[in-house]
Amino acid sequence: MDSSGWTELNIGPQHPSTHGVLRLKVKLDGEIIKDVEPVIGYLHRNAEKLCEMSYYCDNLIYFDRLDYVASMIMESGFLEAAEKVLDIEVPERAKWIRVIMSELSRIASHLVWAGAFGLDLGMLTPFFYCFIQREKILNIFTEVCGSRQQTNYMSIGGVYQDLQEETITHIWEFLKQFPEKLEEIYKLFIKNDIFFSRTKDIGYLPKDVAIDYGVTGPMLRASGVPYDVRKDEPYLTYDKVNFDVPVSQKGDVLARFVVRFEEMRQSARIVKQALEKLPDGPYFNPKGKKSLMIRVRGNGEAYSRVESSKGELGTYIVADGSVRPYRVRIRSPTFKNLSVLPVLAKDTMIADLVSISGSIDLVFGEVDR
Amino acid sequence: MEDTEDKQKTFMGKEYTLGKDGRKIIFLTKDEFLPFMKRLKESGFSHLSLITGVDRRDYIEVVYHLHSISTNEIVVIKVKTKDSRVPSVTSLWSSADWDEREQYDMMGIIFEGHPNLKRILLPEGWIGHPLRKNYDMDTPQYVNMDEDGEDYVTFDSGDGW
Repeated sequence: MDSSGWTELNIGPQHPSTHGVLRLKVKLDGEIIKDVEPVIGYLHRNAEKLCEMSYYCDNLIYFDRLDYVASMIMESGFLEAAEKVLDIEVPERAKWIRVIMSELSRIASHLVWAGAFGLDLGMLTPFFYCFIQREKILNIFTEVCGSRQQTNYMSIGGVYQDLQEETITHIWEFLKQFPEKLEEIYKLFIKNDIFFSRTKDIGYLPKDVAIDYGVTGPMLRASGVPYDVRKDEPYLTYDKVNFDVPVSQKGDVLARFVVRFEEMRQSARIVKQALEKLPDGPYFNPKGKKSLMIRVRGNGEAYSRVESSKGELGTYIVADGSVRPYRVRIRSPTFKNLSVLPVLAKDTMIADLVSISGSIDLVFGEVDR
Repeated sequence: MEDTEDKQKTFMGKEYTLGKDGRKIIFLTKDEFLPFMKRLKESGFSHLSLITGVDRRDYIEVVYHLHSISTNEIVVIKVKTKDSRVPSVTSLWSSADWDEREQYDMMGIIFEGHPNLKRILLPEGWIGHPLRKNYDMDTPQYVNMDEDGEDYVTFDSGDGW
């Protein structure tokens, strides 16, 4: 096709709908997108090198800063691999606490996504409703570890401090009001005609293309593949709780929205069960206590995957018997999910680009690492 | 004892060892690499999860984590290269595109046959590959933008605007 009449348009890196620092070089034929080239790396700080240079216990803070809206899941992802390399067992209570925190984190992350996605499409109201709920989760995080986002709560061999009775009551209180409020937020979106017309049948992603590009998480499940690491390779105690994996066959932006909302409901279900089953006992392994932490040595190599709110977070650690990892490699789910954007956006209208890129759930701490 | 047992086990005609996480590790030479990857793809490993370069100082190890969504199995393929060159697998999996670009950027591995092998996270013109063990970390490099909006790298902190 003749490309001489195409318009080149630069979107970002500083643009409110690019969620941070994504730059898109778009080639347009009239209003139709002919080619998109994502330019990334504006938030790059080479977390993998920083991990290599620091002790195993210090690596956690870099994982916190990957996906900063779901930092608890990032921590559990690193620890899955690190504890295998370091041969440290995790007590049962710590595993359950990690499940509770991961799922609360997933809800918080999806709420940020829903709010920001609404903003992308020009809806201001749902943003506040989402953030009211998210704030309640962040207050729980503040109670358990003292900080809101970069939590640094989990530690090698367990968690940093025990879950207090008071906190458990607060989580119950949150869970009691959450389902109703979630439906309220859901209705704000779904009963809006403009929202429907801007998401339905837009950004269609076929099943085979999704797998070919390594897309995972809600995006893959919205394309009809029931792949969820929590079910397929249960880590922590996910094999002891009942939950469903929402799958949609539609593959469009609306399907991703519906899948994410259903995931929040399922997460709330998991937290409820985890609180009921939370056993007594130690919350950390004495091998990983603070004074010994910088002396733990790793051997061998391990690859772990966990289901983050964006998709499959893989951590590959190669150890060489020293107190620092030899090589840390992060399989960032959003990095893979973003790579499919040129396929999704091809031959769509320019106005839909924001809707499509918003539906990927981009967090640039994780894409650029 | 366990080691000798492991060595007798084969996966698709190749001997494998078990890693610490219980995943099969298969070492391949560069010649048998592409045909074997093709066979893996045909046998259902449709999801290329991760490509990693590991700098072992005298050689580079390229590690592929392949995942089969239908059987839920992960195999680890390892290729050693002394001249930092391995064949590209972009023709088999599209997800290899960005992964290989990233490993080229960070590790300096040249994937032969990649359609668009350029840096992805760092700007073009960056000196060195940061994840190499011998990367010079004492010389700061600065990124600036020229009048056409293109990034360029300089050693002078006061350059540009």
